[in-house]
Amino acid sequence: MARLHEHGTMTELALGRAAARPRRRAHVYPYLSILPALLVVGLISIYPLLFALDLSLYRNVLTEPLDHPFVGLRNFTEAFGSYYFLRSLQTTVKFTALIIFGTITFGVLVGLYLNRAGRLAGFLRVAILLPWAIPTVMAAIIWRWIFNGNYGILNALLVQVGIIPEYISWLANPYLAPLTLVVTHVWKWGPLAAIMCLATLQVIPRDLYEATHIDGGGGWTTFRFITLPFLRPTILLLLILETIAGFVTFDLIYVLTGGGPGDATTMLAWFAYAEIFRFLNLGKGAAMAFVIAALTLGMALIYVRLLRSEEYTT
Amino acid sequence: MTARSTLPLQAATLGVGIILALFLLGPILWMVSSSFQFDSDLFTVPPQLIPRQPTLDNYRYILTREAPASYSGQITGRRASGEALSLVPALKNSFIVATVVTLFNLLFSTLAAYTYARLRFRGRDLTYAFILTSRLIPAISVAIPISVLITRLKLLDTHWALITVYVAFTLPFTMWFLMKYFAFLPPEIEEAALIDGCTRFGALRRVVAPMAAPGLAAAAAFAFMGAYSEFLFALFLTRTMAAKTVPVILVATAINHDVSFALSFAALIVAMIPAMAFALIFRSYITRGFVSAFGR
Repeated sequence: MARLHEHGTMTELALGRAAARPRRRAHVYPYLSILPALLVVGLISIYPLLFALDLSLYRNVLTEPLDHPFVGLRNFTEAFGSYYFLRSLQTTVKFTALIIFGTITFGVLVGLYLNRAGRLAGFLRVAILLPWAIPTVMAAIIWRWIFNGNYGILNALLVQVGIIPEYISWLANPYLAPLTLVVTHVWKWGPLAAIMCLATLQVIPRDLYEATHIDGGGGWTTFRFITLPFLRPTILLLLILETIAGFVTFDLIYVLTGGGPGDATTMLAWFAYAEIFRFLNLGKGAAMAFVIAALTLGMALIYVRLLRSEEYTT
Repeated sequence: MTARSTLPLQAATLGVGIILALFLLGPILWMVSSSFQFDSDLFTVPPQLIPRQPTLDNYRYILTREAPASYSGQITGRRASGEALSLVPALKNSFIVATVVTLFNLLFSTLAAYTYARLRFRGRDLTYAFILTSRLIPAISVAIPISVLITRLKLLDTHWALITVYVAFTLPFTMWFLMKYFAFLPPEIEEAALIDGCTRFGALRRVVAPMAAPGLAAAAAFAFMGAYSEFLFALFLTRTMAAKTVPVILVATAINHDVSFALSFAALIVAMIPAMAFALIFRSYITRGFVSAFGR
């Protein structure tokens, strides 16, 4: 501003500056400004991924440190050919389908509820932030205690009400253990979905509702033709997030079930972890880790396509 | 709507709200109640919703690391785990890591987000996609290479190991979020500053950043909470209390059946308080951030 007075009027200054300003700096600025982000991301995500690919092409078992022959794709074919890998893939797909359904249903319904006026809804709009704020492993510890087969509160509650005759070991039952993971996941991530849906709902113009109301549209008509189209992009985004979340689920398994009972909750990420850190087979673990990344990226790209075509058509 | 609302409908709505409140808050309250009980009271059927002999001894033990009288007797019947008693140093580690991550994250993501929001340049779309896509790479997929990399850099079991990894993992989201935020700001004010002779960086620093303060606050909250919560890398990249963070300590106690449940629950509550307080303090920024990111 001091210069402004030295050099005269503002227009003069602007014109003079624009011509005299070192053009090169303006050209370089965009690249300089994104450089730190690019470097950090490149060093910590992309480079390691290529490193993992390289690792996966060799036999590399930590108990045999001097023997690393090149084995090509054998680590991959062995993984895909193994019964346990395919089972873990199956478990992962089932779990992912359940959390997608659970989280999105919870998000939409609770989002609609929170969008109401009133004191209770106002209180819940605050309360819903808490599960979202609690770190995943801590949420898992809470639910581990709730599901405790001997002293957990869930058993006490259900027996009290008369829904179950006696205590159940939720975490030790191969059919129930995956469901405990789903419930914990929905408790932790459903609130975020609800917050996202609420944020979307809040920008729907009121008069749209009034218009359908005047036209004689009932609750379902309003939902189907106004609310849902508005929510669509958010739901698609949630679909992406939840699919990825399902395929990388690790923390919940680590705390709640440890992959068991048997292999009932052994999903891809846990399987790769066990291969690496229990069986110390780096080559095979890296191959599996790479497969997980490829699956996640592939699905995400398909969804992004969907999302984009969606944005263009609406 | 209200005109048509009848009494049963109102009651049903109220009921749904109460069930929802119980589902959201019940688990937390149950944990709070458990943390004020001794193990001997925890292991009863049916459980005590409200502690019959509430005690602060679990908290006292964790925070002072000196065994209260009750713990020397038979009441607990279990070992007090070394891990639960390491909560205070772990909290310190977590706070150092999360704070430094937040600072770096804000600096890097603001710089990049502003450029992507306002400038056109060759390679823009490619680099943008590169950064965003990196968020989709699962942590487990890069766990081994990163462990090797960190070991080679001689950073294993240090704060810097976690800081580096967390900045990279939190950055894509905060950058995307801030880009959306900046894109919503009216460009006229900064254009005035640019005509006034400000450089792009000057405009960002003096005009855009102050205007975007709520967005920056929300981004800071996301980065901090992401770093505070992370478990997988904390598990791989730390060995001792020099770097172990809260999630590692808590999980170690929670899945060990030999240690006192009560102590581990008290540790959990202490560790949850900063996260919940953070969310409540930054509530308006976070909600406003969400509205600007998702509400078009």
